[in-house]
Amino acid sequence: MSERKQLLMIDDDPDFVEGIKSILSPHYDVDVFYNPKDGLAALKQKRYDLLLLDIMMGRGAEGLMIARKMGQDAELRNVPVLIITSIREQIAFLFGSQALHPHFVAHDELLEKPVEPKLLLERVEALIKAGAKGRDGK
Amino acid sequence: METRSKILIIDDEDVVLDSCLLVFEGEDYEVATARDGGAGLALVPEFNPDLILVDLMMPGISGFDVLAQLRATDPTLVAIVITGYSTVGSAVEAMKQGAFDFLPKPFTPDELRMITRRGLEKRRLVLETIALRREREMLRENFSAIISHELRSPLSAVQQNLLGLAAELSGQLTEAQKERFERLKGRIGDLLGMIGTWLKAVSVPVAKIRESFTPVALPPAIAKAVETMQPHATRKAITIAEAVGEPLPPVLGDAGTLTEALVNLIGNAVKYTPAGGQVEVRARSEGGHVILEVADNGVGIAPEDLPHVFGDFYRAKSSAGSEAGAGLGLALTKRIVEAHAGTVAVASEVGKGTTFTIRLPAHGAATQSPAGTPSAASSTRDPGDQS
Repeated sequence: MSERKQLLMIDDDPDFVEGIKSILSPHYDVDVFYNPKDGLAALKQKRYDLLLLDIMMGRGAEGLMIARKMGQDAELRNVPVLIITSIREQIAFLFGSQALHPHFVAHDELLEKPVEPKLLLERVEALIKAGAKGRDGK
Repeated sequence: METRSKILIIDDEDVVLDSCLLVFEGEDYEVATARDGGAGLALVPEFNPDLILVDLMMPGISGFDVLAQLRATDPTLVAIVITGYSTVGSAVEAMKQGAFDFLPKPFTPDELRMITRRGLEKRRLVLETIALRREREMLRENFSAIISHELRSPLSAVQQNLLGLAAELSGQLTEAQKERFERLKGRIGDLLGMIGTWLKAVSVPVAKIRESFTPVALPPAIAKAVETMQPHATRKAITIAEAVGEPLPPVLGDAGTLTEALVNLIGNAVKYTPAGGQVEVRARSEGGHVILEVADNGVGIAPEDLPHVFGDFYRAKSSAGSEAGAGLGLALTKRIVEAHAGTVAVASEVGKGTTFTIRLPAHGAATQSPAGTPSAASSTRDPGDQS
């Protein structure tokens, strides 16, 4: 049996995190941070196979900031990002409809909260397999 | 600390200017004076007065012209006209043209103080109303943000846990338990969907919602709305009767939002009907339209409240007790109905009950008759227009 993949989840809602963890934990190791700052620090400390990222945290769309920083970082660029958000329309409203285009905010997939367990497991598996390949079309 | 109120006095008689300055000396006002209409108007932009005292009879630009120009530049300014006894008639004329009040010469210091205080109070109220209106606009603009974050997030968390738990326990659950999980997920899914639709109703252009319109059969929508509110009614021993006159033509629209509009009306009826009362949901076809009515025999709405019931955050002042709700239900209902090219109206009598009437164009109807609704207040009416 192969080594368990390492996932990082950054989301400020502990209840939501529990719901996601209960689906992923049987298959993956999931580290959780409840704010962007600690999450970003953790990303730099440890090599993760996938980041599950919330957008609306703290005083606004601080999750976007993480995704942007990751896109600029040669190391972190290779970590696949799965955005899980409840506010697709709101982000478009606040930042324009281009805001969530992978070209502007590095991410590989966007799912809306809540996520069906089957879909979540499928996407997580696929993203880990693909690694960061294909992001930005490069 | 509050800023000092600013008063501009325009009068060609030095004795009037001087006596006004003398009276205001003891008050906490900032006062500027001008000897004719032109000079007075020129002062307005930089001095930015709250109140203007203006003589009607002046050489050059008359007080009337000053009033007219003030009104054109800043309608929120409060103006009081000063006039001789012989010209009280023109003072009344000035008030018709927007002056707040008039002060006949000669006046006593107390009369000047009183009228000034009242004028400034009026100014304060005008500014406050503008601020409140602006706040309401901002609320509406931020509405989608508030709804999505404050309502959707907790619901998403609950739903995610239900999904997770159901998956986790799938091997151990009985069929009945699985079914309960499914029902819970369904209910929360409905709620999330509803919030999504609300969001669209307030933030997405109506034309865009219309893109997804399909012919909707109303009887199932009515049944679903009644079913949704049934537990609330049962708790208050209120009966909900349905009277659907078949055949009912379909309407072009979105079944979810239309159900939501009905749920809001039925919920409102249940809320404002005492225990043991009755709510009736009626539907019928009438000349190319479908008429949906929600009638109750509850507390009713006071005539002065009627024109405001469809406003955002409206809650009946006279309502007994503390009824739950943000006061958005009827406003949303109105928006939903209007997105469907319909109208919603209300008729009510205090102590007798209230009837809300939704008129929707029937799908496939040749033309729609624009016959007005005879009710007491209608959504199509200008909100400020009541005599």
